[in-house]
Amino acid sequence: MSSTPLQRESVPELPNPLGMEGIEFIEYATSRPQALGQVLESLGFRPVARHRSREVTLYRQGGMNMVVGAPADEGLSEAGARPVLAAVAFRVRDALKAHSRCMELGAWDVPSRARAMELHIPAIRGPGSSRFYFVDRWKEFSVYDIDFVPIPTVDPHPPALAGMSYFGLVQYIGGGRSVDWMAFYENLFGFTQIPDEQRFGILPKGKLMQSPCGSFLWQLVEPDPGMDDDSSAECLQRVGLGAPDVHAAVQALKALGVEFVESHLLHPEDRGALTRTVLGSVSFELVHREA
Amino acid sequence: MQIASGLLGGFDMDSGTLAGPLELRLQAMAYAGFCQVSLSARDVVAQPGGAPAVAQALQALGLRPTALQALRDFEGLSGPMHRYKVEIAQSLLELCQALDCAVLVARATTLEQASGEPDVLARDLRKLAMLALPLGIRVAYVAHSASGLVPDFGRAWDLVCQADCPNLGLGLDLHAMVAAGSPLDELEDLDASRIFQVQLSDGIEPTAAQASGHAPGLQVFPGEGLHSAALADVLLRLDAMGYQGDYSLAVHNADYLQLPATSVAQRASRSALWLREDVLHRSAPLPWVASRG
Repeated sequence: MSSTPLQRESVPELPNPLGMEGIEFIEYATSRPQALGQVLESLGFRPVARHRSREVTLYRQGGMNMVVGAPADEGLSEAGARPVLAAVAFRVRDALKAHSRCMELGAWDVPSRARAMELHIPAIRGPGSSRFYFVDRWKEFSVYDIDFVPIPTVDPHPPALAGMSYFGLVQYIGGGRSVDWMAFYENLFGFTQIPDEQRFGILPKGKLMQSPCGSFLWQLVEPDPGMDDDSSAECLQRVGLGAPDVHAAVQALKALGVEFVESHLLHPEDRGALTRTVLGSVSFELVHREA
Repeated sequence: MQIASGLLGGFDMDSGTLAGPLELRLQAMAYAGFCQVSLSARDVVAQPGGAPAVAQALQALGLRPTALQALRDFEGLSGPMHRYKVEIAQSLLELCQALDCAVLVARATTLEQASGEPDVLARDLRKLAMLALPLGIRVAYVAHSASGLVPDFGRAWDLVCQADCPNLGLGLDLHAMVAAGSPLDELEDLDASRIFQVQLSDGIEPTAAQASGHAPGLQVFPGEGLHSAALADVLLRLDAMGYQGDYSLAVHNADYLQLPATSVAQRASRSALWLREDVLHRSAPLPWVASRG
């Protein structure tokens, strides 16, 4: 009864089935957008545009876009003051095709919240309450052209501090759930697992996957085996920032007031560094990446 | 009650086995010593207050929901029928999540219009597993003797393997397997870690027809019927394979449904103790360990 003809030959699928080409933006949701904005500015991001109809601000440095918003219908938790990583937007070849493919494979659709004359960005559910967007307008035009208004007198393309770029995302998952989530990212997006021996940065726990475009990594971290009472919800936990010279990046960020975790177990070094958690949930990881 | 809960750990009752309002059924299970329950979605939505009220009652009684019954006729469809079934599956998965229930039971299709192509069936099962995955839910796929496509666990296992998704596994209906005379040696082909639920009931009628789905026959609790020895044999095989999951007492018996839930739950408790101590020879937990649970 299948409406599609059956394959007579086993033809391997493309290694990059969505035509993924990196991260277009990462979105935080918070009831204190200005406080988070200050944190981002201390990391070198600059506010460059505001949404036409919502309290949403676009921050940017180099090739990294960060969206901070507090949508009223987002159902933020009681601890809404603590920012949450709400979405990651992937650059893909064709957003609608990417969305359709994921839906065919078993993703959950996220209904569009676009209002009249606003851009509809197709999205699927991610871990916890997060979303994954698919964006194909990132070359000649951008998704910000329609919905955002540039902030006057501000450089719309501020350079990246210390050559930083998106390195990847860290996702906290439930105990024993690594194989599940690896199957999720492999099936839907074409991510591949990186061998356990190959690690980056100073927090090497968990399983590591690479995007099919090779431009960013995804780290899955389970609770420690002894932490049976860790029943916290699965979520996107933090953003990794790549830097060609971690030491120089740390010094530049310290000069802007960023504090780093410094203990006998964890401290800034050439491989990476971890910023102190601020606003109850926000930290960033610096990871060495060749320029 | 806490010590008894320890004694029956690993065994649950199916909510459809008892009569009366769900809250009273759950109380009867808890008082009989069960600490876990397999829920029928129909029972949950019929309860005033729905899933939140049931979740609250479960928590108050110390009952862990092990599985939600059941998604039916999902695989092998196309066009509007497929889209309809995806929406039904999503609703049941959300119900699972609201109840903090880790397993959704999916019964093999009995629809004639379902595709017989293994590739199509496996593709749909994989899609179902992917829908369940972000919610942290596992799917237990159960063969159905009335299914022309997946009538036995061997066929179901083939499809689970072909679908190849870590949160998709098998559910086993041992009574149906025993009554239908399924070749039990094939159990050894299964990976015990991919068996997500085992349903248990016994039968009083000796014919294979009772497991056909069309004539369910008179079911009783394990140890009360004619197939006790065969059930015990299967349990020991599963135990030897390393199965460490839950056993669910799921008995469809019209007589039980006109008896007080407390009395039927006590019968179930005796059955579970027989399975645990006389069949599986599991040692009783030490009192101070059980009392912590």
